[in-house]
Amino acid sequence: MKIYIVIHNLFLILGVLFISQIGRSASKSLLSTNPFLGIAPQDENYYKTSSEIFKCKDGSKKLNRAQVNDDFCDCPDASDEPGTSACPGGKFYCRNAGHVPLLLFSSRVNDGICDCCDGSDEYDGKVKCPNTCWEAGKVARDKLKKKIVTYKEGVTLRKQQIEQAKLAIAKEEEELSKLKSEEKILKGLVQQLKDRKEQIEKAEEKERLQKEEEEKKRREAEEEANKEKSKAEKEANQEKNEVKEQVGSEEEPMESTHDDKIGVLDQDVEEDKSNSVAEVEHTDKSENASPTDGIEQHAAEGKEESPVVHETDLHAGNEVSPTSDQATKQENDVAENTEGLSREELGRLVASRWTGENTGQHTEEVDAVKHDHHESHEETPEDTHAEEYDGYASETDDDSQRYDNDDMEDPVDEDFGEDDHYDSSPPYKSDTEDESDFSDITSTSNPSWLEKIQQTVRNILNAVNLFQTPVDKSEAAHIRKEYDESSAKLSKMQSRISSLTQKLKHDFGPEKEFYSFYDQCFESKENKYVYKLCPFKQASQEEGHSTTRLGRWDKFEDSYRTMLFSNGEKCWNGPDRSLKVKLRCGLKNEVTDVDEPSRCEYVALLSTPALCLEEKLKELQQKLELMNQEQPQGRDEL
Amino acid sequence: MAPNINPTLPLLLLLLLFTLHLSSVSAWKKEEFRTCNQTPFCKRARSRKPHSSSLFATDVAILDGALTANLRQPPPESPDQDQIKPLLFTLSVNQNGVVRVKIDEDPSLDPPKKRFEVPDVVLPEFESTKLWLQRFQTETVDGDSGPSSVVYVADGYEAVLRHNPFEVYVREKQGKRRVLSLNSHGLFDFEQLRVKQEGDDWEERFKGHTDVRPYGPQSISFDVSFFDADFVYGIPEHASSFALRPTRGPGVDDSEPYRLFNLDVFEYIHDSPFGLYGSIPFMLGHGKARGTSGFFWLNAAEMQIDVLGSGWDAESGILLPESGGRIDTLWMSEAGIVDTFFFIGPGPKDVVRQYTSVTGTPAMPQLFSTAYHQCRWNYRDEEDVENVDSKFDEHDIPYDVLWLDIEHTDGKRYFTWDRVLFPNPEQMQNKLAAKGRHMVTIVDPHIKRDESFHLHKEATSKGYYVKDATGKDYDGWCWPGSSSYPDMLNPEIRSWWSEKFSLKNYVGSTPWLYIWNDMNEPSVFNGPEVTMPRDALHYGGVEHRELHNAYGYYFHMATSDGLVKRGDGKDRPFVLSRAFFSGSQRYGAVWTGDNTADWDQLRVSVPMILTLGLTGMTFSGADVGGFFGNPETELLVRWYQLGAYYPFFRAHAHHDTKRREPWLFGERNTELMRDAIHTRYALLPYFYTLFREANTSGVPVMRPLWMEFPSDKATFSNDEAFMVGNSLLVQGIYTEQVKHASVYLPGGQSWYDLRTGIIYKGGTAHKLEVSEETIPAFQRAGTIIPRKDRYRRSSTQMANDPYTLVIALNGSHAAEGELYIDDGKSFEFKQGAYIHRHFVFSDGKLTSSSLVPNAGRTLFSSACVIERIIVLGHSSGPKNALIEPSNRKAEIELGPLWLRRGKSAPVLTIRRPNVPVADDWTIKIL
Repeated sequence: MKIYIVIHNLFLILGVLFISQIGRSASKSLLSTNPFLGIAPQDENYYKTSSEIFKCKDGSKKLNRAQVNDDFCDCPDASDEPGTSACPGGKFYCRNAGHVPLLLFSSRVNDGICDCCDGSDEYDGKVKCPNTCWEAGKVARDKLKKKIVTYKEGVTLRKQQIEQAKLAIAKEEEELSKLKSEEKILKGLVQQLKDRKEQIEKAEEKERLQKEEEEKKRREAEEEANKEKSKAEKEANQEKNEVKEQVGSEEEPMESTHDDKIGVLDQDVEEDKSNSVAEVEHTDKSENASPTDGIEQHAAEGKEESPVVHETDLHAGNEVSPTSDQATKQENDVAENTEGLSREELGRLVASRWTGENTGQHTEEVDAVKHDHHESHEETPEDTHAEEYDGYASETDDDSQRYDNDDMEDPVDEDFGEDDHYDSSPPYKSDTEDESDFSDITSTSNPSWLEKIQQTVRNILNAVNLFQTPVDKSEAAHIRKEYDESSAKLSKMQSRISSLTQKLKHDFGPEKEFYSFYDQCFESKENKYVYKLCPFKQASQEEGHSTTRLGRWDKFEDSYRTMLFSNGEKCWNGPDRSLKVKLRCGLKNEVTDVDEPSRCEYVALLSTPALCLEEKLKELQQKLELMNQEQPQGRDEL
Repeated sequence: MAPNINPTLPLLLLLLLFTLHLSSVSAWKKEEFRTCNQTPFCKRARSRKPHSSSLFATDVAILDGALTANLRQPPPESPDQDQIKPLLFTLSVNQNGVVRVKIDEDPSLDPPKKRFEVPDVVLPEFESTKLWLQRFQTETVDGDSGPSSVVYVADGYEAVLRHNPFEVYVREKQGKRRVLSLNSHGLFDFEQLRVKQEGDDWEERFKGHTDVRPYGPQSISFDVSFFDADFVYGIPEHASSFALRPTRGPGVDDSEPYRLFNLDVFEYIHDSPFGLYGSIPFMLGHGKARGTSGFFWLNAAEMQIDVLGSGWDAESGILLPESGGRIDTLWMSEAGIVDTFFFIGPGPKDVVRQYTSVTGTPAMPQLFSTAYHQCRWNYRDEEDVENVDSKFDEHDIPYDVLWLDIEHTDGKRYFTWDRVLFPNPEQMQNKLAAKGRHMVTIVDPHIKRDESFHLHKEATSKGYYVKDATGKDYDGWCWPGSSSYPDMLNPEIRSWWSEKFSLKNYVGSTPWLYIWNDMNEPSVFNGPEVTMPRDALHYGGVEHRELHNAYGYYFHMATSDGLVKRGDGKDRPFVLSRAFFSGSQRYGAVWTGDNTADWDQLRVSVPMILTLGLTGMTFSGADVGGFFGNPETELLVRWYQLGAYYPFFRAHAHHDTKRREPWLFGERNTELMRDAIHTRYALLPYFYTLFREANTSGVPVMRPLWMEFPSDKATFSNDEAFMVGNSLLVQGIYTEQVKHASVYLPGGQSWYDLRTGIIYKGGTAHKLEVSEETIPAFQRAGTIIPRKDRYRRSSTQMANDPYTLVIALNGSHAAEGELYIDDGKSFEFKQGAYIHRHFVFSDGKLTSSSLVPNAGRTLFSSACVIERIIVLGHSSGPKNALIEPSNRKAEIELGPLWLRRGKSAPVLTIRRPNVPVADDWTIKIL
């Protein structure tokens, strides 16, 4: 082997000398003196057999040995020309002693560019490629060494994290199962309390009726004394009233909510109208060019449209497609109306067709007029803002409670939000308002907590004599209070259970190495944007006060080397936003780069110890060993 | 719960309205453009009845070697009718069968101003080919009461001026059959300029824009007839069929005429006579009976052209006897003069030669620009550029040019760089250049009206901008916002513009940087029909309406001149333009603009490019993949397979689309696209030879089948297949998931499947199996195609690689072909520094001889050899070949037709003849 290398190098040096002197024909001499140019060490045996016949590697053809590396492609698999550019699709091996060997496309051989640091790919004399393997190799080795150091440390960190994760998960699982069994008991207690509460309420009701009856009787007695004659009639009346009262008390609450809703709806529509009119008036003043008639007519159309639109939205959810017909119609309306625009507005409008961008405040106003956007007090100067609403709509569709889209800093998903609140593992704790509120449940370490309640309930239940009349007021209040508190506790417990269940459902990686990501967000600032990545939750892009959701957590890809956030806010004229996070080994969790290679498809790099794999470390170490071995003799670095 | 609904509701409404607005950008804005009915001159001309022209010719004479006359009208019957002043008629004849007819107002009769004649389109050399007419004969034709004047045109052809009724035509001398005629239906009309009188209201309004029309209506219209023609072709640019369909006549419902008006059309549709980015008012008629003829009207105003279906004039009650095999057309223009050219043919290649003798042959492109171009709106920054570039290498896909769209600039100020995204543009270009690659940046004509922008300041102070109707600098809206447009009609301004491309003036440019002219229709976002108002004013008081269709041409010209100057006259320019006019072929390439990623647009790209080629613009292509929208992977692959045969081969995409570089669709599809690109690179020597042919003769690289098979009627309306040169037939696949395709192979000779070598009979349609691997392509028997089978990173790196010759034998075991080689970049070839080989195979012997005149001197040489000769259609007996004069032997064996590709039947291969490509030699199969 060693001897071969020396000879090989000698040939090369000779070859280069020849070439630089006599040019083209030298290349042939090089090839004829070294028919094994470009052959990888593991293939040498294949080419070195003494037989006069060479077989293409794929077995398709038998050649004369002289046809190997004769600068003419014979084998369909390119195996007869490892050292020339004759076969497209072939591979050229350069040893690069002092650095790492390289396997090149044969299209790189004698193309005038030095691809191999040992210069072996350029031997036809057109360019001179100095051997730079030593310098380049040293740089590469140093780099590799640094990498190995990082990996070594990273592997340890990773192990620690995995341990911690496993403990934390076990703890959470334990907590979960405990909570579940406690929940069962608490549920029973609450039910008991509820039953008792209802019994008391019944008893109270009965007592009340009794009292009424007594009162009635008392009055009757009085009346009887006074007006005995009309007694029969009055009794009948009394019965009627009672019926009425009952019916009334059943219907009332329903009716009132109903009223409420309708009231709100009406009010809304009313507001819309006034807004749009205000907007029209406003623009009318500033845009004398536009004929007032047209605008009013449009405004009226807008009014007519709004209920329809509202309906579509409620029914079709976030689907845009069913409304595309309307969209086209709308657009046609716009086009017909371009005469009303100022020249600048028209320019921007037409430009926006190609750019797909909203062209700023001016068009915004124009659009507002044309489309009747009702947005005079909700000015949205940037398109990101508009998209924000867009994205927001999809949420509010299933849950109209969360409408405060401005606080996007809170995790959007409600479940996750609660998870944050109830998390108990200190390093990842995020501070939230009702932390303290929950302490009574989280302090499950105190075993007497549930027992206490149980005891209390038992005491209460025993203490209260149901059949005692009149009902003891303080006892009844006690039960009600106890019921309220317990059921509140129960609901908290249940939400804790559901959040834990949600969390533990996640795929934290084969060794749970990504567990610690669950309660972390990573930020990176790129120019004017701040990117915020919250694994298992969501990712967003912030610019000042506006936030764009780039995606919700989707999954790991590429054997846990990539995190995918998908279904972000829809892009103007483009796809839903999405973010791919490529993971690299590093000692800190750190977002190093965010990019948008394709419209609204983002890519970020995240370095993390979780990716510092032991196998990879070994691989790198082997590579380094190999590089050290490949060093020319006498120049051993170490 | 309930109160929460309250704030959401208006929000939802708002959102939905927004969504509606946002998603609605997806249709051709038809109503923003004028129809013929909304265009008074077109509406008027279209409503004229045949023989409504009462013109007659008087005072016929020979003057300055041309036939001249006055065209007059009989005095009006009622005094309130306008009496038109006599028009000046001139007929001149040029060599090689070109007749030029000019009709204009008589300057001696004091017209309000001179009508616009388009300068700098007709080659100066053309004037020198004028035949000096000495005399004319008179003759009575068609039983007229008066005489006609007849002059000689070329052997066997004469031009006739029929005096009354006025008609001018070219005829065959023998049998006196008309070839081409103007005004044979008497539709000629010429509105003369007028001085505005009290009460004249000539203003025109469209979509809120007003055109003041200071000289009143000034349109011209007339009919032109192509005799013995089965179809007419030409007059780009339209997205429509290759053979032009009738726009009027029986069975045609309500069609618009073909419109020639350079417009930036957002999301154009794939089948419409509507005007697009460029205009070439040149039409060809072709028929089996006689051959080909052509008609060109040099006029840069808006033009509308009707192709009249047979029977269109039936209602007039006059049926002409010769109407069989004759196609009538109606030409209408808003302004200018009659300056028309009749081309007599008789072959298709004769007509393009005649046309390009007037307007120039296509420029010889740099070799690199005939290879593959990678473009996207936008490659965002230097890192992006570097990544894309290295990915090509990683996947062993060659490419030659990386393009930067508008976002690379500092705020759409051309000639500048966004220094955040591109801090080191020279270094970036040098890195590409180290791999033999080039870069193209965009330079559009709209200049940002920004006081701090030196270009704007300079143009303003020098008064170089186009003016509006009131004489102020015209201010329109384009990418940078408020913009003005340099007046490219003025040679001084063009010269000023061309200086901007010097390496010193264009900071951040290198000698490896070339230019892309977009938006030069000109596109004006807030102008009428998204362009400049017709009453805007140019140099010399020319109204924009008069030169509109040539604005982009002058801009292209100035840019191209700039690159020539930059390279000190030693470097061929490369400038891609979107707008074009007759003559643009002299300045660079064009493409078919903002197409869409769908199958119909893939299909229509072929007739569009064929039409461009036929009318001089051979260096043209369509955006591979489709500009708007995301192509399905299959469509993208098919587009690469077809685009590899476009003369101009560039992938491009809108910035809202997903990335679509060839390696993004899985390994198999990468392989398919790489293979398509490799095919192009292998055929580059053939393509380059064809570009040279176009450069010398005007004959396009990509040709309709009938250009090679002019008497095969089955090819006349075929626009799914095309020829690349005379040797290669390509049929696109325009439908998804097809398993079979019907391919018509014309002629009496056979065809060899380009990939497998399988032989197919000519003169019939074949139902072929279609695989995903390739679109059908065939080499014609009797031809020799030069290839380079080694792939490099770029075409320029292949310069020293050896050649392969593929000889496809015909029925008599013969074949011939050519190979043109030069340095690929300089103008030295004009001094004869090139190699031009003629390969002839006959009697078992291949001979290489030079086609260079004065072959004795060698101004250009090449060390390249021919490493492989494949002979298709030869029996597989011989084992050796003898090479003379070196008296060497080369082995013959059976080898693959293509090196990298799957299994095909082995073909006869002469192994390593290694004959120098520059030398004379023979190789005899023993």
